[in-house]
Order: sequence, then C-alpha cells, then structure tokens
Amino acid sequence: MSNKQITPVKLVLLGEAAVGKSSLVLRFVSNDFQENKEPTIGAAFLTQRCIIGDKTIKFEIWDTAGQERFASLAPMYYRNAQAALVVYDITKPASFIKARHWIKELHEQASKDIIIALVGNKLDVVEEDESNRKVAYEEGETLANEEGLIFLETSAKTSFNVKEVFMNIGQKIPNPENVTASGEQGRNDARVDLNVNNDSVENNGCNC
Amino acid sequence: MSFFNTIRERASSLSIFDKANVPKKPSKDELFREEFKLPDDETIIDETAAEMLVVSKEDSNQNNASNNFSSNENQLSNHSNFVFSGKLYLTKHYIVFRDSFDRKSCVIVLNLSTVKKVERIPSRAYVFALSIVTNCDIKLLIQFIGIRSRSEEFSYKLKTCLRDNVSNTKKIDPFLESLYSEFIVKKNEPGADKSAIHSPDGGLGQLFKYPGDPKKLRDKSKLRLWYDYFRRYGRNLSIARQKMFYKLLRVGLPNRLRGEIWELTSGAMYLRYQNLGIYEKLLKDNEGTSSIAIDEIEKDLNRSLPEYSAYQSEEGIGRLRRVLTAYSWKNPDVGYCQAMNIVAAALLIFQTEEQAFWTLSVLIEKFVPGYYSKTMYGTLLDQKVFESLVEKTMPILWTHITKYDIQLSVVSLPWFLSLFLNSMPLVFAFRIIDVFFLHGPKALFQVALAILRINGEELLEIDDDGTFISVLKDYFSQLDDSAHPNSKDPKFRQLTKFQELLIVAFKEFSNITDEMINQERNKHKPSILQNIETFIKRSQLRNLPRTPNLSKEHISNIYDRFYNCIQSHKASLGVGSSSMEFKTYQQFMNGFCDWALPEEEYDSHPEDFLHRLFRNWDKDSKGVLSLTDVVVGLDKLVNKNLMESISYFFEIYDYNNKGEVDREGILQISEGLLYITKPLQDGKVFDFLTKKSIENYIADKIVEKQNETNDEVILLPSEVNIDQEIFQREQGERYLSAASDFIQRAFEYAQPAEVPELIEIDDKKDLEKIKANAALDPNHPLTLNLATFRMVILADESYELLFSETLSSSIHLDRSTNISDKGGILRDMFDGLLADGRRVANQVRRRMDSSATSSSNNHDSSSIKSKPGNASLIEEEDEDDFGADATSNDYGDLLENAEIQALGDVPVSNNVKKDDRENELKVLHGEMTEIEKGLQNQSISKDKNLIEFEN
Ligand SMILES: Nc1nc2c(ncn2[C@@H]2O[C@H](COP(=O)(O)OP(=O)(O)O)[C@@H](O)[C@H]2O)c(=O)[nH]1
Ligand SMILES: [Mg+2]
Repeated sequence: MSNKQITPVKLVLLGEAAVGKSSLVLRFVSNDFQENKEPTIGAAFLTQRCIIGDKTIKFEIWDTAGQERFASLAPMYYRNAQAALVVYDITKPASFIKARHWIKELHEQASKDIIIALVGNKLDVVEEDESNRKVAYEEGETLANEEGLIFLETSAKTSFNVKEVFMNIGQKIPNPENVTASGEQGRNDARVDLNVNNDSVENNGCNC
Repeated sequence: MSFFNTIRERASSLSIFDKANVPKKPSKDELFREEFKLPDDETIIDETAAEMLVVSKEDSNQNNASNNFSSNENQLSNHSNFVFSGKLYLTKHYIVFRDSFDRKSCVIVLNLSTVKKVERIPSRAYVFALSIVTNCDIKLLIQFIGIRSRSEEFSYKLKTCLRDNVSNTKKIDPFLESLYSEFIVKKNEPGADKSAIHSPDGGLGQLFKYPGDPKKLRDKSKLRLWYDYFRRYGRNLSIARQKMFYKLLRVGLPNRLRGEIWELTSGAMYLRYQNLGIYEKLLKDNEGTSSIAIDEIEKDLNRSLPEYSAYQSEEGIGRLRRVLTAYSWKNPDVGYCQAMNIVAAALLIFQTEEQAFWTLSVLIEKFVPGYYSKTMYGTLLDQKVFESLVEKTMPILWTHITKYDIQLSVVSLPWFLSLFLNSMPLVFAFRIIDVFFLHGPKALFQVALAILRINGEELLEIDDDGTFISVLKDYFSQLDDSAHPNSKDPKFRQLTKFQELLIVAFKEFSNITDEMINQERNKHKPSILQNIETFIKRSQLRNLPRTPNLSKEHISNIYDRFYNCIQSHKASLGVGSSSMEFKTYQQFMNGFCDWALPEEEYDSHPEDFLHRLFRNWDKDSKGVLSLTDVVVGLDKLVNKNLMESISYFFEIYDYNNKGEVDREGILQISEGLLYITKPLQDGKVFDFLTKKSIENYIADKIVEKQNETNDEVILLPSEVNIDQEIFQREQGERYLSAASDFIQRAFEYAQPAEVPELIEIDDKKDLEKIKANAALDPNHPLTLNLATFRMVILADESYELLFSETLSSSIHLDRSTNISDKGGILRDMFDGLLADGRRVANQVRRRMDSSATSSSNNHDSSSIKSKPGNASLIEEEDEDDFGADATSNDYGDLLENAEIQALGDVPVSNNVKKDDRENELKVLHGEMTEIEKGLQNQSISKDKNLIEFEN
C-alpha cells in the first residue's frame, strides 16, 4: 500500500437508461461484465483506486439509476462531483440527445470546474456490424470539442477504452498538493481500507 | 422530450392538488378511513358510544353454566373477558369498534358479509344491547350507551345496511377460501376431514421455500399462536384486534400467514374483497397492448431479487410481470417505477398475484404517495422530512453531517424507496414491513432513525458520503450478530443487532408520530415541488427548438403561462396534461395578446383567426398543442420581419399549402385582420401612427406656448391635456377603412380561379372589365395568392405597419404569469408618452429648429428639461425619420430588385399618401408577381395571370 496522499475524486455517471453506465463501472471496478444486474435504486456507490503518474486517486463513483423518472434525483448526485461520465449508446441516437442535455445540465448546475468525459459505449456492437452505428464518431467528437470534454468510444463488454476514460479524468485532476491546499485532506487511509466495499480495491489499485 | 412532458404533466397535476390541499384538513371520514384502512367509499353512516365484549365459542362453552347469551342481561359484566368501552361506527359495508381509552386494546373491523346473526338481547327497559354472531362463531355483545331512541336508530340503520348487503354475502365463502387463516382453523377443528381441506393458493414461498431458516424463525410456534388467536378473536374480515395481535405481529409473522396479515393490516384485503376479479379483468382487457411501462417492466423482471430461486423461474417471473403490468394499467400516472419491482417481488413471495396487486396499490397510493410517481416527489420529500427528523432527534450527528457536507438523503433514499428490501437481508426487511403495514410510513422513519442512532458513534468519525454508506452497509450485513457480544449477561448476548434495531426504532423513537411526519411533509412540500418544477422547466426549455424571435425570458413566460392555463383548466378533474386544447389556448392567448378575447367575450367559430392559428400551430393535427407547438407558433407570430410576417399570416389561411386562398379564404382573412386589430379599432391601444400624432400634437402645443413666452429653455409640462377620444376615433376610422379597402382590393386583384381564354382578348380594357366582373360575381371562383395578398397589405399604411410592428407589439411575451392585470394599457401609454419626455422634446426641438431664426445650437439636450422616465412604451428610434424606419428595412430585400425603378422617386414610406399608394399598386403588382417568382419558390404565380399586367 502506498503511503502517498490519496486524492478522493467524486465521479458521477449520467446518461439514458441501458446505455451501459453500470456495466462500465463494473468493468472498471471488478473487470467483469454481467448481463443481468439488479437495477440501480437511486444510485449505486462504488470506489476504485488508481495510481496515475505520481498520484493515487480514489474514485468515489456514483452510478445513477437508469430509469428516466430518476432524473429529478440527479442533482443530489452530481452535487459536488469533481468529474462526470456522460454516457450514450452509439447504436441509439436518442441516447446521444440525452447526453447533450446532461452536459448542458452539468455546465449550468454542477461545480464550475467539473471534468466531464463524454463516452460513446457499446463499440463492440458496431465493430461486429458497422451498420449498427447510429451516432458517428465525429458527432461525439464535435460535441466534446465544443464543450471542452474528454471523448472516447468504449465497450464495457470487451473492456476497450474503459480504463482510459478514468485515466484521462485522473490526469486532469489537480495534484494532491493543490487538493490539500483547498482543504480536501484528512482522509484517513486506514479507514478507507476498512470501508472498501468491493473486492478489487483490496488488490491495491487498479492496473491502469 | 416526451418524458419531460409527461413528468411535467404529473408535476403540474400534483402541485395544484397539493397546493390547493395544504391548508385543508382531512375530513372526519377521511381520518376514519385512514385509521381503519377502509376503502374510499366507506363513510360513517352512524356512530354511538358502546361497550363491547368479544366471546368465542370456547369462552361460551366454558361459561355456559353461568352465562347464557340469550337470556342473561348481566352477561357483559359477568363475563371473564374484558369489556371494552368505546365507539361503534357503521358504514355501508362495515361495523367498526374502537376502544376509546387505548386503541390497541380493542379494534374490531367487521365486514357485514361476515355477520351471521344479529339479535337484540332482552334486557331491562333502559339498556339496549345487540349480539352479533360472525362466521367465525365469535359473538360480539354490544351494549349501547346513550339515549335509547338513538340506539334504536343505530340498530335500524344497521338492519338496513345488512339488508342492502345481502347480495354481497354470496361472495364471502369463496373469498374466505383464499385465506390461510380460514384454512388452519378448519384443518385443526376437532374431527375435521383433513383430506377434504386444501391449502389455499399462496405466495411463491409455498412453491420455492421462504427465504430464511424456518426453524430459526420458529415459524411453527408462531403459527400455533396465531391459530389460537384466530379462534378466540376471529380472523380476516371479522377480526378483533387486541393487545395480543400486536405482540404476535412484533415477533415477526410466520411466513405462511405473512401475506394475509400484510393484506389485512394494510387494508388491501378490504379492497380485494370489494373488487374481486378486477385484477384478472385488467390483465384481460389490456392483453396485447403495449406501453412504455411494460417495456420498462420487462427490462427489470430478471433483475428483481434475482438471488431468490422463484425469480430464476418462469413461474416467479410470470407472476411478477402480471402484477406489475396490471398495476401499470390500473394507475397509468405511476406506470412503473424501478424499486416497485423489488417491492412487488417481495410481496409475491407471500401473497397470491391478486393479493399482491391490491397490497401494491394501497402501498403506492396510501402508504407512500408520490414515491414512485413520475417526478418521485414523495421520495424526495420524505428524504427532506427524514433529514429534519435527524436534526431534531440527533443534533450532534446532524451537526457533523452538515459540517462535512454529507448528503444524508443520498444514503437514505434507497431505504425508503425499496422499504429496506435492497438494503438489508430479506428476512429482516420483511419484519420491518410487518410493522410498516400496521403502523404506516412512520415505521420507516423510526427504523431509519434507529439505524443512525445505533451507528452514531462510528458515523461521527466519517467525513464523506461514500464511507458513510460503507459503514451502514457493513452494519446491515451483521444484523444477525449479537448486539452485545461481550456482555456478561447471556440475555444481552442473545440480543441480535436486528432486535436491538427494532427496540431502538419502536421504543426510543416512539415519539415519532404520524402527525409529526405530516407536519414536516407539509412544511417541505412547497420547496420540494418548486425544485422539481425548476428542474423540469430547465430540462424542457433546453429541449425546445431554436426560436430567433423569442428571448429566454419570453420562453420562460410562455412556459409558465402554458402550464398555468392547463392547470387551472383541468383543476376540477384533478388531472394535468402537457397538451393544450383550444379552450385553454384561448385563455392562454388572452394572457399575452391584446386582441385575444377571453372565451366568454368571444363568439368563436371554427374558421376564425384563433382557430386557424391553433390549427396552424398544431403541426401533427392532434387537436392539441404541445409547449413546443406554442413556442414555435409564437415565435412566428411575433416576427417583425415584414415580408415573413405577411407570409406567415397568409399561411394561416392557406391550409393545404396551395399558395392561394379562395373567395371564402379572402373573407376569412379580412375577418382575421379585423379581429387582430380590434383593440386598435376600439382605441384600447394606440399604434405607432397614432402615438406619432399625439406626440406631434403635444409638441405643437408646447411650441405654441414657447412662442408665447419666448423662453430659450424648453420646459416640458408635467401634464398635457389631450382629448384622447379624438385620437381614438381617428385610429378606429383608419383601421375600419383599412379593412374595407383590403376586401375591396383583395377582390379586385384576386385572380379568377380558371381564367377563361384570356389570350383571345387583346383589348386591355375588355380584360379589365371581365376581371372586375368576375371578382364581383360571388359564383365565380377566384383565388388570392401570396404575392397579391402581400401587395394588398402593403397598399395600406396601417396594415403594413401591423405586420412589421403593431402585431408583434400586441403580443406581450414579457408579461409573466403573476401579473394578470391587463387594465389601463391606454393610461400607461399616456403616462409613458409624457414620462418619455425626450421624444416629445425632440419633436419640440425639431419644430423650434425649423421655425426659429435664432441660433439652433442653443438647443442641445441639456437645455431641455424633462422628467426622466419610462421609455419602454415607445422604442427608441431615429428621431429624424420615424415614418419610414419601421418598414424600410423590411422592404429592403424586395426593393433591391426591379420595382425600385417602378416606384420611381416615390419613397416607400408611411409618408406616402393613400392615393399615391393606390396608383402605385397596379405597377407594383406586376412587378411583385415576377419578383415573387424569382424570390420565393413557395409563391405560385401563374403565367396566365401575368399576361394581364405585362402590357
Ligand atoms: N454489447 C454490449 N452491451 C453492453 C455494453 N455495456 C452494457 N451493455 C448491456 O446493456 C444493457 C444495459 O447495461 P447497464 O449497464 O445496466 O446500463 P445502465 O442502465 O446505463 O446502467 C445490459 O444488458 C448490458 O449487458 C457494451 O459495451 N456492449
Ligand atoms: Mg444502471
């Protein structure tokens, strides 16, 4: 276990139902993929530690519920978030429109310096058959450029680019010293370990 | 988009409901039904004070020697059982008794169908007593308290109700067969033929085993105790609840009875009995119908308590699917909300589909209203209530939570939404639900508070949401462990954490009452609803198409008024909608537009302007308008671009996009023009031209004065007397003549629909004559195309201005909903005129400049004293040439082309006299038609028509 300062990063996942938010988190946290998962009630909370460069980042991930009516609960979750993953399904154009809305919502309502990654998921489906693609890579890229976001296409199923998303976010997180300066210190490592609620955290950080 | 429409729909209907109901106290009947969990149509028919004795068969056998039911008048006092003193109520289908001193000591809810016999007990003259025998062979001995005539009246009403209920009694036997309580009593009757008695259908647990270890749960002994209870105090629809009932419930229900007791304590049993077969019917009636809810349900079927074996089978999944689907049909407002799947899956372990369906219904509609609604406002509200209860009961923890900005609601929300089912092991959650159905939502709060209290010390060390959740997750996984593992006292060691939780919840937090929760709910409801509304509004406005002519503020005002109108319109029905019908539209437009009269003042017909406009906005011909329709429509209507605005007006009458309207259409257009200029005709508002003349008038007056005094400094008067009526009359006449000119010109320049061999006629004069005749002949079909319409409009100064300015400014999108006062427009206008002294001052200056021989340089603005004031009524304009400015820009694109030459030196402005315009018209017409052809593809000008003008 590294005795370096651990930077906690609150990260929220937003996006239309069934685009693969929970799957991305599961892939990232447990390197696993499941077809039938219990739906998220409110939001699921998971943590994952990463060593990025000389930083150790502890992602505190809020995976929000899929169903649309839960949208009005979203402000509860993105409040104070330092990072957000706005996910859409590249085979579902409607989910891209939703993603646009979430980005606007975050820009209007969330913390000013929130780091947002736009993620087009289910790339494996498109790789199987290009005709499944309903949202062009360029569309996502353009939106990301306009809004100043990280942009990646991923597959939770094959794990393609999943770690990269979180790494890119991690790299944009200011250094621990700055965080300390802004009063975010005082996290007790021992307690963090006590309260791990998923197996993978035990193996001392992910491989990214 | 559609989603936000629908959630807006719900939010609006809820908020009117709630806002209207906040101060309103629940009625006596409502409180009564709430207390006894009776269906909505049970109302108190009569009530009386009474004493009650519950006697079972055993009791009467034992006491037979000394107490003969039928004869002994003192039996109530002689009996060994308790006599309860309380209140007796009669409703259409129920007799209800409640002990007045301690409601836990005796509550009886007796369905009239279970009454086997009612007898008057012979007694001394002043006592009136009844004996009621139920189908469980329980005898209720009731002695009325109060004057005898009242008691007799009660008894008479009871008789009437029993008689009216006779038709229901045949339902009772099959219903009882569905109940496990009946089964165990029958089966264990001495001498019962056990092979002939079949266990009723039950929950999935009967087929797939109940979760948990039955030995450890001591199900058999619990069942035995309940058996005794049922025999002694009755069961299901005729049960008397005594202290023992609550004790049995608190130690946890035996699995086999759990479904029935849930159904009983929640009141779902009464609903099921009242609505037998409805569940099946709902499924049957909607068979094969698809819905969004069904799609959503389907996604979650495999994800509902997936670790329980029944939900890995088609049987379990099928039941769950049917219950959730039936409920989505029963209550489309809720449809399906995630978490309902978990709750329904839990119910189905213990209940049949029909039982679960009704239990889910009372749960959603009565126990936790708003939890699963489209906005989930109930869920958000109760988190707020929970936070405030934490603040009250655990101030130190609360201080800690706020200090570290831990969002408690994030932690507690899933507890409430899933009734702890996805937070703690199922066996424990079931026990909480046992209490919840008995005591209502306060039980959830009590348990939630107890969780924090028990973990308080550890939680005080935590400074982030994540760890907070983890600590509690650990706690939930250890509920079966000893609460005091290190205690010397073995009794203490035996106490599990779960037992401790219940003790803390229901003992320590017994002071959390329903009233307290209701009070907190009422307190926080407005802000919660406001937050949701704001969120939804933000989301919806973001989804609207681009509207270049509307500002953000305009759109916001449109949004507010749109839903405001729909709300008040449907308030009486108690349902909101996200679409607007014509009637509401009328009211909506009345709020923004000077000319849109309220419904009662306007005798509308389907072809009038407003109807046409409505249909024009209703892009999909749904007969209703969405917010998008209205925003897009208003955007076009307030367009100040002269040419576009004229085209749009024409489009409203050009239904099929033919590019032309017929005779009827021309008449309707002229009616439409009359309609939107009505306030101008009536002098209720002044247009630009009138304002101008008023300014001139005032300026003249001032100049006159100025000349008299010969003062260098111009002083604007604070008041000028104006004969308002003169200007009103002038304006009215101007608009009326515009209307009559319009119709005359329109007919004159309209083209015959089929031109009869014009080519043969080479004499221009003949042609004119034929055309004129045709126009006047009502039987002769003719058409007006856009180009001609435009020309006719431009021929009139007032109408030209109407489309470039007046119409747009008659639509007050800056009016927010709160300001309903539209009165005094005219007065405001006058005030504005005077206050805006600068404009008048400029007029005065111009006059002075042009007439004065003295140095004009003296008159810089500093020498003009005017009251600083409100310049909002009249927009700032180029003072020198106001006449042309409104139109010259709009003319621009047209004038670039050929007709500049055609117009020669005549400036295109409002200064052009009417006669001149008339003369220009003919020239213009030809030109325009041609330009039209080049400019706009939508304009259809027939070559044939051109011929007459080319010469
Ligand atoms: N083929 C494929 N399926 C995926 C991928 N990610 C998620 N899914 C599937 O999409 C469905 C919805 O995923 P889920 O993670 O629950 O979505 P959420 O509602 O956004 O949390 C599940 O059936 C997943 O198995 C992916 O990258 N590729
Ligand atoms: Mg999910």
